[in-house]
Amino acid sequence: MLKLLLPGLLCTIGEKVLNPLIQLDPDAQTRLHRLQGKQFAVQLRGIPFRLVLTAQQNGIWLNSHDETVDCSIDTDISALQQLSDPSQLTRLIREDKLRIEGDLQTLQQFSQFFQQLQPDWQESLSAYIGDAAAHRVAGIIKLLEQHIRQYLQQSEQTFRELAQDELRLTPVAAEVQQFSQDVSTLARRTELLQRQLAGLLPQLQAQS
Amino acid sequence: MSEQQHAGTQDSTHFGFKTVARDEKVSMVANVFHSVAAKYDVMNDLMSLGIHRLWKRFTIDCSGVRPGQKVLDLAGGTGDLTALFSRRVGPTGQVVLADINESMLNVGKDKLRDMGLVNNISYVQANAEALPFADNSFDIITIAFGLRNVTDKDAALRSMFRVLKPGGRLLVLEFSKPTEAWLSKAYDLYSFKLLPTMGQLVANDRESYQYLAESIRMHPDQDTLKQMMEQAGFAETSYHNLTGGIVALHRGYKF
Repeated sequence: MLKLLLPGLLCTIGEKVLNPLIQLDPDAQTRLHRLQGKQFAVQLRGIPFRLVLTAQQNGIWLNSHDETVDCSIDTDISALQQLSDPSQLTRLIREDKLRIEGDLQTLQQFSQFFQQLQPDWQESLSAYIGDAAAHRVAGIIKLLEQHIRQYLQQSEQTFRELAQDELRLTPVAAEVQQFSQDVSTLARRTELLQRQLAGLLPQLQAQS
Repeated sequence: MSEQQHAGTQDSTHFGFKTVARDEKVSMVANVFHSVAAKYDVMNDLMSLGIHRLWKRFTIDCSGVRPGQKVLDLAGGTGDLTALFSRRVGPTGQVVLADINESMLNVGKDKLRDMGLVNNISYVQANAEALPFADNSFDIITIAFGLRNVTDKDAALRSMFRVLKPGGRLLVLEFSKPTEAWLSKAYDLYSFKLLPTMGQLVANDRESYQYLAESIRMHPDQDTLKQMMEQAGFAETSYHNLTGGIVALHRGYKF
């Protein structure tokens, strides 16, 4: 009963989160102006609806439909995270993890817009608690962020070493690279053999 | 219920469960909306538990609106759909909020201005049966919870067809017939017992909300309305039942 209405609910929540963040970034308006009037759609595999982003000077508005847009991508969540790196695009398309239809520049502009989005929440917070307190809170959060990032990096390193070197549960990077090279070689040889067999088949049929 | 039954006779029509002269219905409906205009949004949220916002969102999705398009929000009332469209069509597009009722139009105008939406919206007091626009003017026309109040629905649909551009689409969001028997019973109980009481308590107007419940029952069901749209000239007509058919969104194209 609610299946048809769920995308609308998610779009409403999305707009309520996204547009205040855009308002908090003093440079966002200029960047948004360049995007004005453009529509970009994202279809995430496994998600039953397509999200359409419409950029206007007063914000980014969300919808869900299958109509023609300036650019649309069909991808999965893991590939979506890699889209911020333009050098990965070709690989993702080759591996069929990403399909792009329409104007590639629109995709790059939207991607750039979100990467450059830096809400100045400290400025906004200062209106409620004053400049000094807001600055202090910002400092504490920055410090906390650094500590968490450092802790996560250390934990990742420790677990990686434990799994690879001590417990020998997972291969090291060089082993993975060697294995994927071997797989590629095997795939090439199999393909060659397949072509040779396909060539031989008519001759064998003619002889019998 | 047949189309003829919905339309009444040549001289008479329905006003809720009452049969009234055709000429009288316009002023009777006008009185209802003059009376409820001020509390219209509060009552909508209360009566639908806010779900009317999702029905309207779904309408926007089905419109496939693009920047630069021209949209007519007919019987637009307090401007919920106009606000959603205005942000999407941007400065190169235009939204016309039209309503036959001046009080509703004024509430809508104030609300949209308070929201900072002024540049691409114009306001027109208009009767849906005889729209004061040139042929082929709009890319999208919507009429949300308005068609059931129109005296001559066929004339209104023909008028909408005329002002729609070829390739444009009409979206009719309206109360309809629940698809499940249990829901229908619960809905009857809600709309005839609870709704008028809520109207009395919040808007101090029991009769208008009694009319609302009655007018919903007298409105054509999903298939009849689809047929009426086809008779008016719309092609590729279809509908989606929302919230078990309590509301239906009809869509048709002009080719």
